[in-house]
Amino acid sequence: MSTVQLFITCLTDSFFPHTGEAVVNVFHRLGIDVDFAREQTCCGQPQFNAGLREEARAIAEHTIKVFENAKGDIVTPSGSCAHHFRHNYLELFEGDSLWYPRAKALSERVFEFTEYIVDKLNVTDVGATWNGLLTYHPSCHTLRGINVDRQPRTLLQNVQGATLVELPHAEECCGFGGVMSVEHPELSAEWLKRKISNLEMTQSPTLVVTDAGCLMHIAGGLNRQKKKQKVIHIAEVLNNSRE
Amino acid sequence: MSTFFRDRIRESINNETLQTALDNNTERRLKGRALAFESIPDWRERRQRAHRIRADVIEHLDEYLAQFIAKSEENGVNIHRARDAAEAIQITLNIASQTSARLIAKSKSMVSEEIELNHALEKENIRVVETDLGEYIVQLRHERPSHIITPAAHLRKEQVAQLFHEKLGIPYTEDIPTLTATARKILREVFLTADIGISGVNFGVAETGTVCIVTNEGNGRMVTNIPPVHIALMGMERLAPNLDDLSLLLSLLPRSATGQKLTVYTQFLHKPLANQTRHIIILDNGRSRIRNSPLKESLYCIRCGACLNACPVFRELSGHAYIGRDLSIAPYPGPIGSIVSPGLLGGNFVHLAQASSLCGACKDACPVDIDLPKLLTRVRAGQITNEKKKPEGSGLGLTWTTKLGLQIYARLATHPKLYAASQKFASLGSFLFSPRSQWMRLPAWTGWGYSKDMPRFAGKTFRESWEKNSLILNEKKYLPHDKKDTPIAPNNSMHRPDILRESNTDRIKQFTTELSALGGQVYQTNTPTQDVIEFLKSRGLSNILLEPNTLDESLLQKADIEFTHKVDPKILVGVTKAICGLADTGSVLEADSSLLASLLPEIHIAILKSQDILPSLPDAINLVKDKKSAVFITGPSRTADIEMTLTIGVHGPKEIHVFVDDSISR
Repeated sequence: MSTVQLFITCLTDSFFPHTGEAVVNVFHRLGIDVDFAREQTCCGQPQFNAGLREEARAIAEHTIKVFENAKGDIVTPSGSCAHHFRHNYLELFEGDSLWYPRAKALSERVFEFTEYIVDKLNVTDVGATWNGLLTYHPSCHTLRGINVDRQPRTLLQNVQGATLVELPHAEECCGFGGVMSVEHPELSAEWLKRKISNLEMTQSPTLVVTDAGCLMHIAGGLNRQKKKQKVIHIAEVLNNSRE
Repeated sequence: MSTFFRDRIRESINNETLQTALDNNTERRLKGRALAFESIPDWRERRQRAHRIRADVIEHLDEYLAQFIAKSEENGVNIHRARDAAEAIQITLNIASQTSARLIAKSKSMVSEEIELNHALEKENIRVVETDLGEYIVQLRHERPSHIITPAAHLRKEQVAQLFHEKLGIPYTEDIPTLTATARKILREVFLTADIGISGVNFGVAETGTVCIVTNEGNGRMVTNIPPVHIALMGMERLAPNLDDLSLLLSLLPRSATGQKLTVYTQFLHKPLANQTRHIIILDNGRSRIRNSPLKESLYCIRCGACLNACPVFRELSGHAYIGRDLSIAPYPGPIGSIVSPGLLGGNFVHLAQASSLCGACKDACPVDIDLPKLLTRVRAGQITNEKKKPEGSGLGLTWTTKLGLQIYARLATHPKLYAASQKFASLGSFLFSPRSQWMRLPAWTGWGYSKDMPRFAGKTFRESWEKNSLILNEKKYLPHDKKDTPIAPNNSMHRPDILRESNTDRIKQFTTELSALGGQVYQTNTPTQDVIEFLKSRGLSNILLEPNTLDESLLQKADIEFTHKVDPKILVGVTKAICGLADTGSVLEADSSLLASLLPEIHIAILKSQDILPSLPDAINLVKDKKSAVFITGPSRTADIEMTLTIGVHGPKEIHVFVDDSISR
């Protein structure tokens, strides 16, 4: 049985541990063993995005050390963190003869959760079931950062019983953007408003995402506006086994 | 701290008129662009080629510039280099004083906005009139353009109506064609009497010394063809190596900017016309510094404005909200502006880069594939210049509390035990803050609490569950059935379907379809002179400005059609022969002797031999080489500067009629 390393991400770890549990379950059902390196913390994306490169580098070095000797591919339930590993780690260590090769080796082992299932495991139906409508919000860094869109959509299409409806202007950012959501709350609020009204147009009670950041942001907005819709990570949809 | 910036953001968001105008701009531009790209299914590959061309130009900029300058001088053009804004202004003032200029007609030039040229000229009592409709409107309002392509994108027609009523003394009207016609009439006088014409430059071509300028309204042609002196302002990075590379870039620029296959007037200037002097001012103003900095890639920009239209930040703000510490408006707004404005002008504009979620819509839209999000993070990291060894700080534009928070978090994240302890602490804290609900309602000043609630930290983190039971929660193994039968969803990432264009061997047919779609008329004929006479009679016209050797003049005389070869702006009809046509865009090529006859009259008639219709711009672009000045004309003159509403006939002809002469090929 092959093993994957789970990079849980700081947001999922602290706020949505059940998403992590769902990831583990889905892998187990597919016959994949999951290992969790206990020293892992955060990928350092918030610091990098904010322009704090020194801090981002310190966290990246820590993360590289944690995963360097752990066996197997690294899978993370976040397109945004996958994007950070894949692209920004290279940017951070460019020209550093000691760290660049280590960062590059790590970046090549990291996959977003749905990307791993579809592209690496060649599985497009994980045997999940769902009752009712679902709509999908493609997170910016999943969609444009690592160009992963076909994979989550395929997995959702093969969820038995689910009716997938297209979210209008799905490709628009929800307004999270890490620290932007606190640095520029006014902008963030406008995009969130638009995302929620687009969600309402679908009539779907459930919005599926691939990133804890968007989840936290959109769900937080829905709660503030006292709306009934739920935001759910795709792992939890896929974990709803039909057996 | 950038409270001034946040204040301006709030103002923009609360301005309903502005928001409606911006929504209009965004929606129409995004749709137009997507449609325009359908006609080039290989756009992804073109985009990568364009990226490589621009990268090569910036890498070897000194060589390309030297080549461009040598070639231009050979063409009889005066070249000036300006290190900064002050030098560029001084050069312009010197030219103006040598020619005792009192009136300058200007077409759109972002470089002139960057160096604030109008202000400097007015101080010397030289009247400068902006002639692009949108620029004219913002000049009358004493504003800066709010968008690099659509300068009045922030205004609605009611505001333009009120402005024209107050400043131009016309009766109040919201009728956009009437407003446009008013500007046409006033500005026509300016073109005909200006001492100097000033334009920008879309591309300079190193191999040929060509200056390429694209405009839809025709004002670019007016200012470069009519006044005795033409000054072109050019950023030093705006080069293409040769005409073939230029034709590739031209297949991307108008599609990205305005959703057009080709801009109405795509001009190629080589030598000055008779009795005309031409100057090109090549501006550095910080570009060399950017070129030697980690922001180098931002110089690949071809100023199409697609990143502005795609940007959710710009959509809320308009260009007027991109302000510096001194409250001045950044010359370049949007994602590219938040990179080049600090790059060109320094510390004043560094905070702009923090206003982005790094969503990447700009990179997706960029026709030369500039990695704008990456460059934004470099600005934030203080990697603005290589002049000083150390960048001027990190986390530029962040509030100090956010910065401190992130720094503390970084310390925790590098110490796993401390990190886990802090998670426990946060969980306890959030439980105390909100004991009864899963959600915390934070106050607005925290930023997060402004529009959303925050989930409580989990009672038990994932790592804790893992430690405790190693998560063997569900042992059921599911083995997938037949993998191949399951449908695969299309990759939707770019949201631009590639629709293959029907292959159409009949160029005349394609030419007709394309030009008709733009509002032009196409007639097939074996007897062009007779058919033109018939057309003129049917419209009650009897006086034409005629390019020599175009029609059978004895037949015209017999039919009582008065014609002259001497340019007279009062004549309503100009008849020219086209050098060639382009099937895929419905364009005709005019040059030198036919430039004014195809520009000044209200009706332009072009005679085009059917065998001269070529498939596409790359097949024809080398025909411009030996012309002093040439222009591809694609439909009647037009604008969408007021509320994005398409209006025909701004400065150039309102009608274009192409008579396709089939007499030889049959």
